[in-house]
Amino acid sequence: MSANSSSAFSRRGFLGFAAAAASAPLLAACGGGSASQGGGGGGNGVIKFWDMPWATPAYNDAAKKIVEGYSPASGNLKASYQTIQWNNFYQTFSSAIASKTGPAVSTGGGFQAFQFEKQGQIAYADKVIDELKKNGQFDDFLPGVLEPFKSDKGYVAVPWQLDMRVFWYRKSLFEQAGVDVPKDWASLLEAGKALKKVGAFGFATGSGAGNNIGNHSMIMMMVNNGGGVFTKDGELDVMNDRNVEAIEFLLELVSNGIVDPASVSYTTENLNAMWKNKKAAFGPYVLGVPERVGDTSGDIVVASPIAGPHGDKGGLVFPNNIMMYTNTPSQASSEAFLVSYMGQLKELWRQKLMNALPVFKSITEIPEFASDPNNVKIVKEWQPIAKTFASQGTVLNDNLAVLDGGQALNQFTQTVLTGKTDARSALQAFESGLKSVIKK
Amino acid sequence: MSAALHAHPESGPVLGVAGPAKNRRVLSEAGHRGQWWRLVAILAITAIVLVPIMVTVVLAFTPGPTSTATGFTLENFGSVFSETLASTWLQNSLVTTLSTVVVSVAVAAPAGYVLSRGRSKAVSGYSLLLFVMQSLPIITSVVPLFILFAGMGLVDNLLGLTIIYVGSTMTVATWMMAAYFDSIPISLEEASWIDGCSVFGSFTKVVLRNSLPGILSTAIFAFLLAWNDYLVAIVFLRSTEIFTLPMGVQSFFQQNQTDWTSVMALAVIMMLPPVIVFAALNKYFSVGGIGGSLAGR
Amino acid sequence: MALTTAQTGLSRARRGVAPGGAGRPANRKSKLTAQTSRTFFWLLLPSVILLVLIHGYPLIEAGVQATHDGSLIEAGNFVGGENFATVLSSPAFWKAAQFTLLFTIVGVFGSWLVGLGLALLLRTKIPAGGTFKVLLLLPWVVPIVVSSTAWNWLVATPDSLIPSLFRNLGLGTPLFLADPSLAALTVMVFKVWVSFPFMMMMISAALASVDSTVYEAASMDGATRFQQFSQITLPLIARSTYISWILMTIFCVNDFPTIYLLTGGGPVDATTSLVVLAYRTVFQDFATGPGVAIAFLMTMTLVVVSVLLYRQIRKSSVE
Repeated sequence: MSANSSSAFSRRGFLGFAAAAASAPLLAACGGGSASQGGGGGGNGVIKFWDMPWATPAYNDAAKKIVEGYSPASGNLKASYQTIQWNNFYQTFSSAIASKTGPAVSTGGGFQAFQFEKQGQIAYADKVIDELKKNGQFDDFLPGVLEPFKSDKGYVAVPWQLDMRVFWYRKSLFEQAGVDVPKDWASLLEAGKALKKVGAFGFATGSGAGNNIGNHSMIMMMVNNGGGVFTKDGELDVMNDRNVEAIEFLLELVSNGIVDPASVSYTTENLNAMWKNKKAAFGPYVLGVPERVGDTSGDIVVASPIAGPHGDKGGLVFPNNIMMYTNTPSQASSEAFLVSYMGQLKELWRQKLMNALPVFKSITEIPEFASDPNNVKIVKEWQPIAKTFASQGTVLNDNLAVLDGGQALNQFTQTVLTGKTDARSALQAFESGLKSVIKK
Repeated sequence: MSAALHAHPESGPVLGVAGPAKNRRVLSEAGHRGQWWRLVAILAITAIVLVPIMVTVVLAFTPGPTSTATGFTLENFGSVFSETLASTWLQNSLVTTLSTVVVSVAVAAPAGYVLSRGRSKAVSGYSLLLFVMQSLPIITSVVPLFILFAGMGLVDNLLGLTIIYVGSTMTVATWMMAAYFDSIPISLEEASWIDGCSVFGSFTKVVLRNSLPGILSTAIFAFLLAWNDYLVAIVFLRSTEIFTLPMGVQSFFQQNQTDWTSVMALAVIMMLPPVIVFAALNKYFSVGGIGGSLAGR
Repeated sequence: MALTTAQTGLSRARRGVAPGGAGRPANRKSKLTAQTSRTFFWLLLPSVILLVLIHGYPLIEAGVQATHDGSLIEAGNFVGGENFATVLSSPAFWKAAQFTLLFTIVGVFGSWLVGLGLALLLRTKIPAGGTFKVLLLLPWVVPIVVSSTAWNWLVATPDSLIPSLFRNLGLGTPLFLADPSLAALTVMVFKVWVSFPFMMMMISAALASVDSTVYEAASMDGATRFQQFSQITLPLIARSTYISWILMTIFCVNDFPTIYLLTGGGPVDATTSLVVLAYRTVFQDFATGPGVAIAFLMTMTLVVVSVLLYRQIRKSSVE
């Protein structure tokens, strides 16, 4: 060997050190570190419950406590709790189900249950509903929350919370602009013009990366006008006059600068900042906006539903639900766990961890929930008139997942928000986009 | 381009390359004249490039929404470590990443050598195959791989993740190593063969020994791919206690509430190890200069 | 001569002479290639195993998905080329292909030029040069999740830093993410920002192996700086450059998080690349077959481009 070693640095020493440093903890990590291998839905004698980060980490801690504190009747299995991230969640669920390592019971996307039902992976919840009838919880459901889940074959899932889209407004900005809070579309337009003079936007929304509020604004305005993209029988119906009218109105808001021209690219973070920095005066959003944007001074308030040109009112609701899977160590145990969990839901609202409406009347009456006037207003004024994505229809289905997350609605929303279109051609493009992906 | 004029400051003494003395003086004078504008240029570019990163760092030291502190504070870091599993995530990330780096280099260096020196149909066929195979975007591979790994009991643990990272860095790492070996004249190997080395022996003792910059570049590439990935991790990892750091950062992005100051504190923690690694390895980067070994013969 | 025949063959091969070139007896030729290729085989084996496992198997799976009408969970029925026909006849696909092309060209050459410039600057004696080298690697080090957020803060709203800067300079208020063409530009600049450190590193490593005496000799011969750069530096880093171009092409074409996290592919598809389109088709429209078909078509194109570039590499030699 005669080549000079051109450095004082010993390669072998370095690699040896790195390998040693890397492998020691690696072995330790792989020895006992893998937590949930093995059978699907359980297989190791436990009911796997997967939950999403619905609110702050404190929510997941509380839910975990409930699940781990569940002591089943004799013969039934205990349950384990697992948080699944929202990012790419459909991929996570799909790959887990396909490899038989999925959950036995889970929350998830609003229409996920219907998608997996199509693929034969969902266990129907009729026996759970029967149990709820026996223990009195069935009669406690708020009106209309159960119907969307009733299919020909049985209950696809059980609703547990209602994610609402309602109008919020900032009092001080309306005072500053010297206008009243809108009661109908005409006054919304007028108020928007006045608000613009004080540098605020009369219709705050956003459809940037990962933000679906913009999409929901579109459907909400259609529903507000008695329209929507589905008929009572679940037929696709995009081009109806009420929808055209709603989109024409939105385009009018855009062309008058009542919608922030940059809205099309606003993430939820940008939208929160808009509310926080007194740029947003009025607009559709979720529950708990004051806490969400960090301004609990009482200046940000829920508005009453506003009337469309024909006197219609309407808001949007996404009934989030808990589903059971066919791949479970014991279907009876899945059912027993779900019945028990439904009975424990009150705890989550009692600890003020939820930013969604409960599905049970009794929970809307507990002081921790009813002490917030915004919550009360939403239950009283918005929940009864709220429509799902099925619009005029009452039953949910797997196509709604395509509508909600899909490209057609998103492109349509962004086209409207950039304002370089007319209502009819935007709707036409939307319709053909939907037709190409919706399965009959 | 006066830049091209200047030799490596370190390479001279280390390699024992001494150009004629007269020449070196001329060179350094030219260097001094050009030095100030180069410094200004690099300062300006660095400043512009770092603006987005400054945003992150500033936020990490800003009091959070529920904080009573004002001005510059370290409490975000405190709360990240006390209220989340940040230290566990950091450890998981380090384990996964370092294993990935070591194994990737160990696999890619020999393969890169073959790609660089081999001239047969089979070798060029294989190097093309490396391309074809890795051109498929990872998002389409993740689900099939998950199903495959689930059958082997390799989901939701760091070993499975490491195997995938090694597989995905390996293709590029092989090419990077090959590119570096290409710049090493074969005369070095020929010389060692005369001294009685085998093909394999001269590869390990001569070629690798002179390939530190190439190995380090490859290692850094592998380090960053494994360190920053979340597309694979998000599908493969479920238990909070075996998350890697990017997953940890992701899990902060809650659906309805985001505490940016904590996210940014975690992001700064995430930036530190690579920065420390680069800073430590930086001085070995410029050690190269194969010519030196030749001149010394 | 202590060289074994295998090594002779190897060094001749390296010089572009075919092993067992002119006038060698056939039996010696076969023996020599056998010995060299045995070593080569063992050196390659681990990488082959990994390639088959991590890349080969998913590619086959993707082939199955692209020719079926199933979901991620069930294979569905065989539909042949139907998904490909659907994809190729959709305007969205061609729009995305166009954007991908532009994004890749700007990404590759933008990051190469910046990386080359910086590598050449950093090669010289600069105070605290090592510190700069580390600082300039930061954009590549920061997780994309974080840097995309930081970029969003800099450009997203009319009151963000950079639009405000423009306004104060009397240049209007550009909406960097809301205007389709500006959004496309912003994403590309972002990509260059993320990628140039990789290029800088590749080129620095290549420059490090260049012997400095070459330049001294050249300047004694009276070569100008530009001549030195174009006649010495560029040829010496040519192979490395081609390889980094190919790699960067693959990175740009396959890049998902950079675009998805900054713009989500909007506004109105203005920044939807083929990968983003494939992702959204599979995971948001739940059309697995067509989505994977897009990824497949993309891969095929990438392979063709790579082969063309690869030929260039084979031509350029650093003997």
